[in-house]
Amino acid sequence: MTDKTWEPKIIAFLCTWCSYAGADLAGVSRFQYPPNIRIVKVPCSGRISPNLILNALRTGADGVLVSGCHPGDCHYISGNYFARRRFALFENLLEFIGIEPDRVNFSWVSASEGEQFAEIVKDVTARVKELGPATHLVKKFNEAA
Amino acid sequence: MPKGSVLVVGGGIAGVQAALDLADSGFLVHLVEKTTAIGGRMSQLDKTFPTNDCSACILSPKLVECGRHLNINLLTLSDLVSLEGEPGNFKAVVHQRPRYVDPTKCIACGLCAEKCPKKVDNEYNLGIGKRKAAYLSFPQAVPLKYAIDPDNCIWLKKPGRCGACAKVCPAGAINFDDKAVDHELEVGSVVLALGFSPYDPSELDFTGYGRLANVITTMEFERYLSPSGPCMGHMERPSDGKEPKRVAWLQCVGSRDINRSCHPYCSSVCCMFAIKQAVIAKEHAHGEFAPSIFFMDMRTHGKGFEEYYNRARENGVSFHRARVHSILPADDEGNLRLRYVNEQGGIEFAEFDMVILSTGLEVDKNTIKLAERLNLELDEDNFIKTDVFNPVATSRPGVFVCGAVAEPKDIPQSVMEASAAALEAGSILAPARWSATAVKEYPLERDIHAEPPRIGVFVCHCGINIASVVDVKAVTEYARTLPDVVFSQDNLFTCSQDTIDQMVNTIKEQNLNRVVVSSCSPRTHEPLFQETLRDAGLNKYVFEMANIRDQDSWVHKNEPEAATVKAMDLTRMAVARVRGEEALPYHTVKVDKSAVVIGGGIGGMTAALSLAEQNFPVTLVEKSAQLGGNANNLFRTWQDDKVQPYLAETIAKVNNHPRIDVQLSCEITEAGGSVGKFTTTLSNGQNLQHGVAVVAVGGKAYSPEGDWQFLYGQNDKVHTLLEIDRMLIDESEDFKATGQAVFIHCVGSRIPERPWCSRVCCTHAIDQAVKLKEMNPDMDIFMLYRDIRTYGQRERLYQKARALGIIFVRYDLDHIPAVSEDSGQLIIKTHDPIVDAEITLQPDLLVLATAIEPQATGSSVAKFFKCAIDAHGFLLEAHMKLRPVDFATDGVYLAGLCHYPKPLEETIAQAKAAAARATIVLSLDEVPAESITAQVDPAKCVGCGVCVEVCAYNAVSMDEDKNISLVNADLCKGCGACVAGCRSDALTLQNIGNEQIMAAVEAAFD
Amino acid sequence: MATINSKISEEIRALAGKLLEEKKIAAFLGYCQGSLPMTARPFVARTPEDTDKLIWNSFCVLNLANYLPELLKSLEPPRGPRDPAPEGPLPKVAILATGCWSRNIVIQIQENQVDRDRVVICGVGSRGMVAQAKVKELFDGREILEVIEEDHKLLVSGNGFNEEINRWNVVRDNCLTCIHPDPVIFDIRIGDEAGQRKNDNRFAEVEKIDNKSTAERSRWFTDEFASCIRCYACRNACPLCYCPTCFVDDAKPQWVGKSIDQVDTSIFHILRAYHCAGRCTDCGSCESVCPMGINMRILTKKLTSDVLNLYGSEAGMALDAPLPLTTYRQDDPQNFIITEQAADKEGE
Repeated sequence: MTDKTWEPKIIAFLCTWCSYAGADLAGVSRFQYPPNIRIVKVPCSGRISPNLILNALRTGADGVLVSGCHPGDCHYISGNYFARRRFALFENLLEFIGIEPDRVNFSWVSASEGEQFAEIVKDVTARVKELGPATHLVKKFNEAA
Repeated sequence: MPKGSVLVVGGGIAGVQAALDLADSGFLVHLVEKTTAIGGRMSQLDKTFPTNDCSACILSPKLVECGRHLNINLLTLSDLVSLEGEPGNFKAVVHQRPRYVDPTKCIACGLCAEKCPKKVDNEYNLGIGKRKAAYLSFPQAVPLKYAIDPDNCIWLKKPGRCGACAKVCPAGAINFDDKAVDHELEVGSVVLALGFSPYDPSELDFTGYGRLANVITTMEFERYLSPSGPCMGHMERPSDGKEPKRVAWLQCVGSRDINRSCHPYCSSVCCMFAIKQAVIAKEHAHGEFAPSIFFMDMRTHGKGFEEYYNRARENGVSFHRARVHSILPADDEGNLRLRYVNEQGGIEFAEFDMVILSTGLEVDKNTIKLAERLNLELDEDNFIKTDVFNPVATSRPGVFVCGAVAEPKDIPQSVMEASAAALEAGSILAPARWSATAVKEYPLERDIHAEPPRIGVFVCHCGINIASVVDVKAVTEYARTLPDVVFSQDNLFTCSQDTIDQMVNTIKEQNLNRVVVSSCSPRTHEPLFQETLRDAGLNKYVFEMANIRDQDSWVHKNEPEAATVKAMDLTRMAVARVRGEEALPYHTVKVDKSAVVIGGGIGGMTAALSLAEQNFPVTLVEKSAQLGGNANNLFRTWQDDKVQPYLAETIAKVNNHPRIDVQLSCEITEAGGSVGKFTTTLSNGQNLQHGVAVVAVGGKAYSPEGDWQFLYGQNDKVHTLLEIDRMLIDESEDFKATGQAVFIHCVGSRIPERPWCSRVCCTHAIDQAVKLKEMNPDMDIFMLYRDIRTYGQRERLYQKARALGIIFVRYDLDHIPAVSEDSGQLIIKTHDPIVDAEITLQPDLLVLATAIEPQATGSSVAKFFKCAIDAHGFLLEAHMKLRPVDFATDGVYLAGLCHYPKPLEETIAQAKAAAARATIVLSLDEVPAESITAQVDPAKCVGCGVCVEVCAYNAVSMDEDKNISLVNADLCKGCGACVAGCRSDALTLQNIGNEQIMAAVEAAFD
Repeated sequence: MATINSKISEEIRALAGKLLEEKKIAAFLGYCQGSLPMTARPFVARTPEDTDKLIWNSFCVLNLANYLPELLKSLEPPRGPRDPAPEGPLPKVAILATGCWSRNIVIQIQENQVDRDRVVICGVGSRGMVAQAKVKELFDGREILEVIEEDHKLLVSGNGFNEEINRWNVVRDNCLTCIHPDPVIFDIRIGDEAGQRKNDNRFAEVEKIDNKSTAERSRWFTDEFASCIRCYACRNACPLCYCPTCFVDDAKPQWVGKSIDQVDTSIFHILRAYHCAGRCTDCGSCESVCPMGINMRILTKKLTSDVLNLYGSEAGMALDAPLPLTTYRQDDPQNFIITEQAADKEGE
């Protein structure tokens, strides 16, 4: 059981061309979703390395979402294909060392999928809430200071 | 040589678009606007359908761009008086009325309006509420300069009496001696974008408009909804300021009405306009809200409209197929009672708190006078007459027209025509391109390299779009406390001209070297703000936006506190990110001045000809063995223009044009590059270098199957519209003997599998029915339809069909007509809702109005050029409202059926619009290229070559001698795949490096 | 009686001597006897005389490929950053390579760390190297003073004991599960082929962890890596770790803290393993050199298993096979991608 007042913070790395546009469309269409995500715009899902995901967790993210264009739709031709391989191996590795699978999430959201974006955010937020605050790989900066 | 300048009359969205396209492609534009500011009707709208975009938000950047454009000479308070001369060499006289405020001095502080004692009705708010005699029409007005209304100013009426404004004006801008000026302008061509007037329903007694306070028009309601309107966006009814709960919309007020208003045409936009208002009003309402729409036929024939209609129904907007007889007071409280006739002829009553009249569009009286002065022909509805096959040409050569002044139409259609008109107006002046224009010069860029960060934060209210949810003041205060932030400020509309101008000053005064704007999406507004930075002497890349609207206030409407916290977080993240950003050099790409057009139908051929006639070489690629596409099977347009002769003429022009290389039975196998420099490989092995591409791959007729087969392919009396057209082209005698014909509409359209309306089939079917009737007056013809969608002046055709005795029977999805056969004889059973009984027909001919579907090739071509497609396979434009022919990928444009079903004249207009947009690129020697590129730190690079492998653009290579990688900035697109792939962290993306991303992430948790 | 290894040692010495004598190479990278029992030290023979010291036994656990790029570089004439590339062929190096090391060399060649033309690969079939730790464990703290190796057994002696143990029982785990003991690339063959080794389930140790619950895995990981002292011996022993600046040493940006913090240590191991994804040949150097006995090899083994399952490839098997993270297939598996439909289903 988690504290009722606790609200997770989720970092979402979204590619400019599809997923960020999809997030905008969710706004334009007024699809409501929980206010827990903090979107970081990047050019392409292929820009995101496992280092950046680990950094988000280390900094205190309770969840991470990386979203790009659907396979075949990458604005940069193949960025999401390379990203898919990196993420697949990385996600498995994290799971292997006992990170809950729902902490780190990957999705494809196109520029026309505003509703899907909202649904995915709802879903990810709910799952991260269910897990409670992240504990592994979170650097306790305050204590260290 | 012709003149290198163009006169554009009308400063609404169409005029603005035409002016921008022309100015961007090398012509000096004189933009004439009769009021004090550009923006037109669109600026008065609250939201736009079908995306519910905030109208001001999407329009404002265009207005600002127009206002700031070096090659647009904006003439407000002006009218075109006369036009003499001929194409290429006109002399226009423009009469400019005095503003009485010197625009070079006015600082838009508003003191004049505040002190002005004279209150007058506010015409911008359609008379709702008051303004002063010294006034500004709306907050985002361009130019943002006050004006004095001479009809109401006390001083101007009786000099010496008041003069309060002149006393308080700190800039000394008030000039009571201002005089009218007549400008004599030499221009090569003219674009008329005169817009429309909303129909005035006062003359329709049954509506009670003018007598009953709570009966208003849709345009008025739009002002009620607008945050810049008289009620600041709070929905109030006029009589008592209470929020209405029960609201009715009455469709076709002043449209489709021969008896009372003399407007037989359909105004085309009002159905969607009303649905949108019902949906938005429901959002505005606190608690229960019951919207009802009373209509005859629901006309949601545009892209995304039918789905919008379906969603509205699901979300509790109720629709009544009924014509309202009268609106009467229900009580003394201001409530209203509607008496209406239902579909079965029964009389019903319903009570409402407020009634909104969906008033139609009509031509302004001044337009009619102007047309007379300019010697332009008008059509029977007083719209400016155009040619079907050149939908932006008027009867006078060199004078072109766009937007609602030629026929009622929505914004995207107007924008499309505006670009098409710009093409035509520019095309005849092509030799004079860049001869009359000036070149933009930016102030010298400040070197901020050694300066410690001084960050300025501008937080936007966006009217109430942000401020109604997020505590903007608190965010602004908070921003000031962030490290390195030396300035923060909130603005009602950060994108308005005054704020932009002020931002330039603030950057200079405060010596800012980094800027954050917390407002809407960088996808729409970043270019505008980046331009502002350049105008202030800063590099445009030391800029970040925090998206606190699309990704905050709009999606957390019911959580204002959390949304405010999030806005602060997002602002802090943007500040953290901008802190680490550096000035970057501006890269450019040399333009290959040629085009590839994909698709050899009317759309593709029109685009190809439009470009070739301006001397740009074009390769036209058609996958089949012949040109013409779907037009090969079209008989005539709804205005009785034969398609085949036009098609033959167009094909001949294309084949004979020295600048067009036609490649038949040919497809694209590969495409790469970007705007200015694409490389495309064709299936014949040809390799093309080109600067732009136009995608016009067309659509195809749905082949009836399942519930919608109706014995098609099984009984030889069943045909599709195109098959009948083919028979008409071939002058078949078959119809002479036909006793009875039945048409079924919406075959395969407007159903869950294909939820769109195919737009053309109602008109096409009715036109065919009329043709059959003309050939054989004894033929009985039945039209089985769901809604008749003869939008615009096509409505006249519908009226003609009824007058000819063609019988219309409605069906719905619960009662799809059943078609069977008995020894070859067709038997159709359908439910007639008027008599509420089944009727049986035994026709000799059954014609199916089948849906239009996208071509499968569309999506593959889209993929080659990295363009988006929508959920149904139609190509997805960059913005449904304001960029109807652009893809999000720069340098690639679309036209025709691959975008959405549309009739021939609209395909032609769109193809010309696509050519106009392509011309902007082709008329430049170089276009801006990606400046955010990858860089290698040689000290960190180990030369493993992973970056080389993951780069999709061959932009990374190995320096074999030093064994480190090298990035070719000309080829790099800034995707960052190499950066993420590098284990050694030797690669970085300028300003989107790991450090900046990590700073943003870390700032999310402060 | 001559053992297999002593015969190989002879062959190595003869070959190295000949190559150096004929000046075909400038250096021969092999092993010499270590100063402690059960150790062999990497050794560079630069003259025919040096070659006498070369040996081959079951304690050659340090991966020679790790020294190859550096050694090659050291043989180039000194040159400033702006000096032109030296003309003419550069000195060559001969190196001993078993299956896994040869695959490391393949990757080093693919990643431009080694010039194929400058290397004479002397392939040796591996019979599996012995884990010193396993032997020590058998003797439970008793000090081992000498170990004599025969083909199938080890004669272990110390103060007051002299025992014989089965060699295979103390072979390293990575060698036990190895199916590629023979070099995939070589110029000269030494000794006999080791032959295909049968292994029903070489990823059993990974599966054991995979089958645990998330909480159990988390506990296992924390416990296993708790003793790490961040000495980076594992990193330094890895033939594929050649970044000029390792991410753990990077200050701008700082990916991990420098102290022994559990989170930073975890991130170090995760990223170290991830950097070996699709490249690690399970040579076991990292594990062999760990002073704390941490089984970090399991992380790379997990990645090896995933790369094989998802993309069907194994690291360094051929010069022309792309590294798995530098290529893709349009239909690569993507079960991990969440979709709206999946989201709906979960919600039900």
